[in-house]
Amino acid sequence: MKSLEHNSFEEQTKLVPRYVAGDLSRSERAEFEAWLVSSPELAFEVEMERRLRRGIASAARRGWIKRQAPVDRGRERRWQFAIAASAVLSVGIVLSFAIPSGESVTPGKRLFAAAGEQRVASSRNVRLGSVRGSGGMPDVSVSLTDAPSELVIEPDVVVLTCADGTIELECAGGSAPQTPQYAEYEMDLVKRHGAALSWRSSRQVPVGRTQLSFTLRDPASYDAGDYDLIVRGHSPDHSEVVARFWLRVSAQ
Amino acid sequence: MSALSAEEIEKIVAEALTGDRAAESRMLAALRPGVLAVLRFGAFHRWIDQEDLTQETLHIVVERVRARTIDDPRKVFAFAAATARNLALNAARKMLRQQTVVDSDLVDELAQNLEMEQSELPDSDDRHLAQAVSELLEELPTERDRQMLIRFYLDGIDKQQLCRDLGLSPKHFDRVLMRARSRLRTIIERRAPHLALFPRVISILLPVAMSFTFWVRHFGSW
Repeated sequence: MKSLEHNSFEEQTKLVPRYVAGDLSRSERAEFEAWLVSSPELAFEVEMERRLRRGIASAARRGWIKRQAPVDRGRERRWQFAIAASAVLSVGIVLSFAIPSGESVTPGKRLFAAAGEQRVASSRNVRLGSVRGSGGMPDVSVSLTDAPSELVIEPDVVVLTCADGTIELECAGGSAPQTPQYAEYEMDLVKRHGAALSWRSSRQVPVGRTQLSFTLRDPASYDAGDYDLIVRGHSPDHSEVVARFWLRVSAQ
Repeated sequence: MSALSAEEIEKIVAEALTGDRAAESRMLAALRPGVLAVLRFGAFHRWIDQEDLTQETLHIVVERVRARTIDDPRKVFAFAAATARNLALNAARKMLRQQTVVDSDLVDELAQNLEMEQSELPDSDDRHLAQAVSELLEELPTERDRQMLIRFYLDGIDKQQLCRDLGLSPKHFDRVLMRARSRLRTIIERRAPHLALFPRVISILLPVAMSFTFWVRHFGSW
């Protein structure tokens, strides 16, 4: 990397994606951070890079991003799609003549589809930070009168460790920790009154090293009250509570 | 407040190094966004109180400047960055040590003392951001640029591979990313200004407050 004085702003900004992704070496990072201190404009670039990453991920989760097949395979797929569509259309036309118009199968299917759509639409995603649950307000609130069909909880609680399992912020050679602290994680729902276990998730391995997603189905079936959502990490010889959140199920 | 250029900041720091107290205040204001950025975007951002450590870093920097042990403004930048990183590392180590023995009560205690990661956006803000990015993607002039951003950020495909796949030059790649960031900034400032950038009022007021503190400590009155 060139020294500070010889780098133009444009050259510095080329490193922004690598810095945000944590891909710079220790010496590169030290030099980049010295630039960062001296240049608010570079800090804005870094901020926007982070927003861009987060925004694209969020838009994708919401299904707002249109993806396109790679260019070289697109034409082939379009042909395959056209052939398949023609075949389906032909079968459809033949069936439309063959099946009487008052058939009860079709409305039933429609009803089922509508209910399915409703279930999907009323699912609710909640992303939670690493430590919460002690403020004056619950981390998650669900009203029994307007409860979603499922509550998808995505806690950001996975600590990454070095390859040898040690919890360090920088591993040997300056690389960032890459291994989840625990092989599996699970979530318990414990009613605070009486400390009764109301639900336990199946264990899961973090996706992409840190992402967990627990689905609590039909939260309206639980009694109104305050609950602890406890995330526990499991390794073959050890388990530990890694985070706790506060869920409130209210009657109204 | 428009952002100062690196040259302007370097000049301010050079003046502060001569003992000019007015320049010192300007230096604190000028360095603050960068120091905050190091703490917000560095490896330890999840574990630290960034505002607190920014203040602590600037405190150490100003004392070092006053002690005249640094003579080059660029060394001040490097010193500030290293100080911020070391303070963050220490705070994070402390935090992680605590978390390895975590139990329910301790989680509560930590939650009271630890500022949450600022990037944990509320759902409405997350939605605003997703809308802004969708708008940005729609505005891109070519489908190729759109796919480039999606595949780079969403699929994690590296720059060289994408340039090969899409027939782009590395220069074009960098330009698209830079324009995307710039455009996103404009869209966010229009659609959700509260998400825009660093809290600008704080970046003015905090250094003033710090200068006041230093002045009173050293001279006994304002």
